[in-house]
Amino acid sequence: MASTLCLDPVLDLKAAQPLKAALTEHRGASVQLDASNVERLGGLCLQVLVAARRAWSEEGHDLTIEPRSAAFSAAAALFAAEDHLGLKVDKDGAVP
Amino acid sequence: MDELEEIKITFFQECDELLGDLESGLLSIDAGDTEPELVNAVFRAVHSVKGGAGAFGLEALVRFAHVFETLLDNIRGGKTALRPDLVKLLLRAADVLADHVAAAKLGGEGDAASTTAMVEELETWISGGPAPSPPALPADLQPNEDGIVFKPVTLTLPEVDEGPREEVWTITFQPMDELYAKANEAGLLIREIERLGKIDVELLDDALPIFDNLDPETAHFAWKVRLRTDVPEEKIREVFEFVEGHCSTTIVREASPPVLVEADAGPDIAAIIAAAQAANMEAEPAFTPLKVDVAAVESQPPVALAPAAPVAQVAQPTSPRSPQPPQGEKVNQATIRVDPERIDKLIDLVGELVINQAMLAQRVAGHGFAASSDVGRGLDELEQLTRDIQDSVMAIRAQPVKSVFQRMPRLVREIAGQTGKQVRLVTDGENTEVDKTVIERISEPITHMLRNAIDHGLETPEERVAAGKPTEGTVRLAALHRGGRIVIEVGDDGKGINRPRVRQIAIDRGLIAADAQLTDEEVDNLIFLPGFSTASTVSDISGRGVGMDVVRKSVQGLGGRISISSRPGFGSTFTLSLPLTLAVLDGMVIDVAGQTLVVPLTAIVESLRPAAAEVKKLGAQGGVLAVRDAYVPLVDIGRVLGFQTTEIDPAEGVVLLVDSEVGGRAALVADSIHGQRQVVIKSLESNYQQVPGIAAATILGDGRVALILDVDALVAMRKREPLRMPEPSIQAAE
Repeated sequence: MASTLCLDPVLDLKAAQPLKAALTEHRGASVQLDASNVERLGGLCLQVLVAARRAWSEEGHDLTIEPRSAAFSAAAALFAAEDHLGLKVDKDGAVP
Repeated sequence: MDELEEIKITFFQECDELLGDLESGLLSIDAGDTEPELVNAVFRAVHSVKGGAGAFGLEALVRFAHVFETLLDNIRGGKTALRPDLVKLLLRAADVLADHVAAAKLGGEGDAASTTAMVEELETWISGGPAPSPPALPADLQPNEDGIVFKPVTLTLPEVDEGPREEVWTITFQPMDELYAKANEAGLLIREIERLGKIDVELLDDALPIFDNLDPETAHFAWKVRLRTDVPEEKIREVFEFVEGHCSTTIVREASPPVLVEADAGPDIAAIIAAAQAANMEAEPAFTPLKVDVAAVESQPPVALAPAAPVAQVAQPTSPRSPQPPQGEKVNQATIRVDPERIDKLIDLVGELVINQAMLAQRVAGHGFAASSDVGRGLDELEQLTRDIQDSVMAIRAQPVKSVFQRMPRLVREIAGQTGKQVRLVTDGENTEVDKTVIERISEPITHMLRNAIDHGLETPEERVAAGKPTEGTVRLAALHRGGRIVIEVGDDGKGINRPRVRQIAIDRGLIAADAQLTDEEVDNLIFLPGFSTASTVSDISGRGVGMDVVRKSVQGLGGRISISSRPGFGSTFTLSLPLTLAVLDGMVIDVAGQTLVVPLTAIVESLRPAAAEVKKLGAQGGVLAVRDAYVPLVDIGRVLGFQTTEIDPAEGVVLLVDSEVGGRAALVADSIHGQRQVVIKSLESNYQQVPGIAAATILGDGRVALILDVDALVAMRKREPLRMPEPSIQAAE
């Protein structure tokens, strides 16, 4: 079963390093990111999430972002990063 | 402190400056200045506030600023003509914007009702204005800067529509690390672009390294935004103004049909320029043949004067990444922002250095070194150096009073509105510099004096007309340096103080005896007495509960003094005199009844040892001193302050001739003079309590505390001895 990592409400410049560090701790296994508390998603944390999703995928693990706050979903849409974060797949009912 | 919070604080500091620029720009326009750069400056101020607010997610502020900015943009673009009523509206909009900023500072939002009403008014103007604006003069009939008038030529160009045409732009931008470091966000840029029209966003992630190699604080993503809009290119560029240098940006118009100018159709300068502009200075191939055409033009008589140079100028391609700085933009002054606490600490340390230097000098003197010895000379140099350091440190804290003055036009507008009076505020000496601590604390007294001047001083328009004056009253706010102090004057051309009325109130309240003989000046100054409430007398705005005595107290708290002069029918002037700094002063150290006191040097005219014949006794205790054919009242410091009950014989002691604002010249009598010294001011109010006649305290070179005299208060205390004035005494701590 995938472990869960709860994302901080504010994912800005200051949160980017800690986010990468937290993700690195879950390396080598599937992980579910709980974005339900996210109020703000910035460009740098977006990079970390996209790079992480690729890394997990290449290693054959899942990295899913579920559940998501409205602010997180809106920011992902604004950045045109829904595909990169696997959000559109989730919408279609794929297994998280 | 949180890094973002720090940036936010800086943002609000910048907002204050921008709002000041906005207001002063609008006031200049209101005063009739037609310099186009003013409108640009006003626009930039609002635009910058909006941009910063966007970075912090202050949505209400951004929304309001956006509407305000749109109207200003129309004005600078010539779409809306500036009219006096529009300028008044802009001034009120600036007030609403300032309210939004003030509310955002406290974490809230501006008043919704006033915002909605203002937005409606602004939008009325954006959509054409309440009345049709007079048409602007056609630009093509104006001579250009070379004095050449182009002959208008009618062109029939295909695809030239009335009004703006919707176009598609491709905007590609890649934020740099600095963009994020400055608390900006790529998302905000996308959102700003979205405000301009319909967008389609694509994330460009090619440069993203693999997870292990990713430095989370390095920017790699870029975005490509397709924007369908009818706004001009400059509006799109404005989105990126705030991140200039922190984001690489290209903006390209898609499917922009080049305007073809057929060489055979006959060369025409207007067509050439139009074509060059339409081609957006980017289509190099389209431009090259035009250059050839220009050469051909030179042989044609009607346009023979058209030089090639202006055309070549127009044809200069503008780099999308380096937009032209707005015309007349302020020269960027290199400044640094420093935490005031650091400066305060430096000032404290320099203060200690001054004390230490004084102690050292005293000890050296105690060991019998002559002033001409090596040690003595070294000490002199040290003293000079200490003084230079002190002056330099104080200069860091010096700020122009402009920051305080800038807040006043709004206040004047509001009070004028409340009282139904027409008021023109004239300010002078805005760049006069004074210590930051003084700046922070003079706002309140100035506010009250202005309120007083408009409410009590100025007459209603009807009264003014009846008095043969213009309906609009003038209130003058001025700052100047005089005698080592800053003087602030608030004057009005109103009716002046109603002396019989003031005198009657003072009698009614038991402040003076019914038969007291007072000069006009003394009557005027009665309004500063505690208990002289003006609320029920001269005005209603003073019903706010702040009397002039409170103003005087706050001014005294700053080591300052306030006085008033008035001419019935011509107006009154409040004069506020404050020390330039609250940290140090040059003083004369004197001895009175065994107490060491310091008299500020700025007050002293001269010191002398009078001959017995020059002293004239008046009554049991008073006396005057004959100084060069004039008589000056004697003030026995020891007796006035309660150090002793018997008077010093002036002929036995020393007399300091001082200038005071309240009672003219006076002669202070002391036992002896120690010498001149620079002393560090230590507040008596914050360490003990306010004492009449004493301005502050200091620490001397030998470590003892000495009191610094408030010369004006001392002279006033002696003058008012017949009046009921409390006289608490204080002994200097040993």
